Amino acid sequence: MDTSTSLRRRVSMAVQVFTSSIGFGRKGTVIWDSPEMIAMQVFLLPLFQISFFAVLAQYLDYSGSAVQYIVVGNALQAMSYSAVFAVANITSTDKWQGTLETLMVTPANRMALFVGRAVFQSGLSALIALGGLFYASELFGVSFAHADVVGVLLVVLVTSVTMMCFGLLISSVGLFLRTAMILANIFLFLTMLVSGVNFPLSTLPGWAQPVGYAIPMTYGTSAIRLAISGASLGGIGSLVADEVLVGAVAIMLGYLTMVGFERLARKTGRFEEY
Amino acid sequence: MVSRVQAVRAAARMTMKIFFADPQWIIPAIIAPFIFTLVALLLFRNETGPLLLYAVLGGGLMGMWGTTVYGSGTSITFDRFNGTMEATLAAPVPLMWIIGGRVAWNTFIGVINGGIILVIGTLWFRTGISIANPLAFTFATVVTYVSLSSFGLMLATVYVLTRQGGFIMNSLEVPVYIATGTMFPVALLPLATQPVAFILGPTWGIEAIRKAAIAGYTGLATSYWTDIGILAIETAAYFAISFYLFGRVERLAKRNGTLEEY
Repeated sequence: MDTSTSLRRRVSMAVQVFTSSIGFGRKGTVIWDSPEMIAMQVFLLPLFQISFFAVLAQYLDYSGSAVQYIVVGNALQAMSYSAVFAVANITSTDKWQGTLETLMVTPANRMALFVGRAVFQSGLSALIALGGLFYASELFGVSFAHADVVGVLLVVLVTSVTMMCFGLLISSVGLFLRTAMILANIFLFLTMLVSGVNFPLSTLPGWAQPVGYAIPMTYGTSAIRLAISGASLGGIGSLVADEVLVGAVAIMLGYLTMVGFERLARKTGRFEEY
Repeated sequence: MVSRVQAVRAAARMTMKIFFADPQWIIPAIIAPFIFTLVALLLFRNETGPLLLYAVLGGGLMGMWGTTVYGSGTSITFDRFNGTMEATLAAPVPLMWIIGGRVAWNTFIGVINGGIILVIGTLWFRTGISIANPLAFTFATVVTYVSLSSFGLMLATVYVLTRQGGFIMNSLEVPVYIATGTMFPVALLPLATQPVAFILGPTWGIEAIRKAAIAGYTGLATSYWTDIGILAIETAAYFAISFYLFGRVERLAKRNGTLEEY
């Protein structure tokens, strides 16, 4: 078999693994796989999160624009429950269910396997953000009159994908830990703190700001505010490009981490350590 | 009766041992609610005086609640993960007392979490710990602890029937922060939602705690002892509801044979 045929075969198998993993990503995460759970995530999570911070800001007499800053930031950040928390737990779910070893002895391409499994959560996270933006418009008075709708949708889509990449990075570390839930919990809430969701990054201490720049959400919150205020695709282009770059770095780091930990776990026989 | 008290103590001790044997769970139990609370407290960064103490106390209750709701959810969910659910239910003591012991320990960790937030909050925002009436403050904190335990116990009944306990507990965290006036008065909420605040124990708990801690605090138009009285009545009601629900749920789970469904 020549090199090009071999490569074509490997790509074809990776695509096959990827597409079948997309379906498994939904069916495999049985905890989330019911219409009422999905509806709760899309409709209730963003509503409660936005309400808490918006009412708090109103109580503290924040200006109208400051409240809207908080509302939009939380509308987008609410997607982290799915894009970060659920995605980060993918490897841990296999540990809980005792299927990780079986999965790891398959020759399936790891990138195709785990990205495929996370795609469902990425789509769900985009829906959660759209739900949040709907509440922002209908309940919290955020005006979309000048918004560049294509820009808004692009930011939601890019943020859901890049945050999924970030979630997979956490998940890959979780392969070696007893569970990724610990890290998932931290980063779920940390994005509220360091990603310009409730206050600008510049208000944080200098040492905390680089953490924010390493998370795709930070660029997403800035870009979506610009898109809502009417900035064109060109106006948000550099932020979206930065977000894609950070997401790409996260997924590559995640892949390398996963492969590295997989080798280590095979060598030390600690795959199922829990 | 003695065996039930023993079961509560044994379950609490077991949960404590698991907690210390696997300290990584400190992170979701304590650090995650702490970060959420910190975000809320940072919105108060331009405030001074009693409003800051108001916020820090509210942050303490948020920490207590966050840990309680997490603990009550995991008290059942971990049995499912570990495959020990059926064995736990087959014990010769009603499930309520076993879960009661676990929830008691988890709520205790919540109080520790609340205390940590209180100390860090007072240091960070330099509010100073000047509790107006330390005795009343301590009493209100203890009553609130018992009330949160009873509330956590009531929630735990739902988790016996569903594998989605983890998600439900995450979803319940913020609504209670909103409804109970942890960070802002419940009067700011839409009128239709305000009755919800009054049937939730933490609302009266934080009122009593603030009245004891902040001199001249005027929240709801009730006295300290009225708040404590309502909190006690609601706590008794939560225990009664838990007692009833656990009996029903236990019977239902045994009858359907779907306990280990996952």
